[in-house]
Amino acid sequence: MIGQLTYFLRRALRNMRLSPVLSSASVFAVGIALALLAFFAIAVLNVQRVTESWTADLAIIAYLDQPPDGATLDRWLVEIRAYPEVATVTYVSPQEAYRRFQERLGRDADLLEGLGADVLPASLEIRLKPERRQDTAAVVERLGRNQAFGELHYAREWLERFEAFLLLLRTVGAALGGFLVLAALVIVTNTIKLTLYARQDELEAMTMVGATSLFIKLPYLIEGALQGLCGGLLALLASFVAFRILLRESLGSLLLLTGIDTIHFLPPLWQLLIVAAGTLVGLLGSLLALRKFVRFCQE
Amino acid sequence: MIELFNIAKAYQREQSALSDITLRIDKGEFVYLTGPSGAGKSTLLKLICCAERSTRGQILMDGRNITRLPTRHIPSLRRNLGIVFQDFKLLVRRTVFENVAFPLEVQGRRRFEISKKVYQVLQQVGLEHRFSHYPLQLSGGEQQRVAVARALVADPLVLLADEPTGNLDPDVTLDIMEMFKAANARGTTIIMATHDRGLIWQFPRRVITLDGGRLASDERP
Repeated sequence: MIGQLTYFLRRALRNMRLSPVLSSASVFAVGIALALLAFFAIAVLNVQRVTESWTADLAIIAYLDQPPDGATLDRWLVEIRAYPEVATVTYVSPQEAYRRFQERLGRDADLLEGLGADVLPASLEIRLKPERRQDTAAVVERLGRNQAFGELHYAREWLERFEAFLLLLRTVGAALGGFLVLAALVIVTNTIKLTLYARQDELEAMTMVGATSLFIKLPYLIEGALQGLCGGLLALLASFVAFRILLRESLGSLLLLTGIDTIHFLPPLWQLLIVAAGTLVGLLGSLLALRKFVRFCQE
Repeated sequence: MIELFNIAKAYQREQSALSDITLRIDKGEFVYLTGPSGAGKSTLLKLICCAERSTRGQILMDGRNITRLPTRHIPSLRRNLGIVFQDFKLLVRRTVFENVAFPLEVQGRRRFEISKKVYQVLQQVGLEHRFSHYPLQLSGGEQQRVAVARALVADPLVLLADEPTGNLDPDVTLDIMEMFKAANARGTTIIMATHDRGLIWQFPRRVITLDGGRLASDERP
């Protein structure tokens, strides 16, 4: 079995060596298509990280007209914690709000001099469970029924827009990537077809000495898969270089503004997917090319 | 044993390449298929190796009807056949050794067995010193000897040769005929298409003559 596989692999490598230009064309076609796809994936994944970090910080703030007494506060906390959508509820007293504001102002904290510590309203910070964030509006509506809550503040609408933008980016990436992968598939198919046209006599001779269809086709299938594999690895290399030179600088500085300190390359699973996709495109390309080439009998 | 019953082959409705051929070739026979160009010699050989399907009739090989043999069974049939073409049909990107070794690789033989067998056959055809050459580095006669070596390497039951000496000079033709005679002496059935009457005179064997796709005569020496 291993001997047979080595034999077919040797024949595939030999075929590639005999047509270096055509083989390189296939490798580059797959490489370029997948590199662009990988490039998009890096951008989308990093932008997605931003929204995830923002969403994690997202809270509904219920500003209170008057700081509540202990019993009322306890009642509200118990009531809100019972909502199925709610993960945590924190009471922020006017003093705590003042301290946080001071912290945020940093060196300009002296601007607050002369103002009392109770100048800011008390509030309740309500964080939702990640899987229930789409129910924000319903929770706000329920909280609004309590007259003691003066104003309810949340940034859902803005985030929804951002997520729509992300969806658009993902869709464009997938469509463009799909189109490019399809183009690569056509190029690989035609490249292998050209190789087969050049070796038609050889294929005929093989059928005449009793070679089975699989025996003839397997080296070409391996050749296609190897070209796809090389294309996938080339795509990873190209996207990594582009990531180091272009993305990390430009997208990195943009994302820094949003609080993300570093941008990341594709995670290992995605890297594996890119290489697997390349191999699959190569394999499929040769399978399509071989469909009508190996004929044993003129019917 | 090969038996043909009322074999007909038509490429188009009006054009009949073979009509009503009935004959029997016994195991170990040496048979010439002769006749003018277009008589149907090559077509008959193609039907025997299933490169084409007959329009009518049956071909039995050792009692097995191969006329409607499913495509997936054709390779196993061909492993029992050796085929030599007028234009050699060698794999030009492979060396002499690799060309001759190919039918054995197809059969999944072990490497040391392949090497031994290929060397033996190359010795028989006098080309053992050119094993590392490529076909296009050889003369026409040498290429045909490689083709014969490839056809014989797997000890086929039947050797089909389509004008194997058509492009060769008289000395090489004699060499090829000696190789066929030796293979026949080892038990291989030989069916050789030729229109070279001189060769048939020189090596007299059973002669099946076709004319216009019909069996014109069947003579034994």
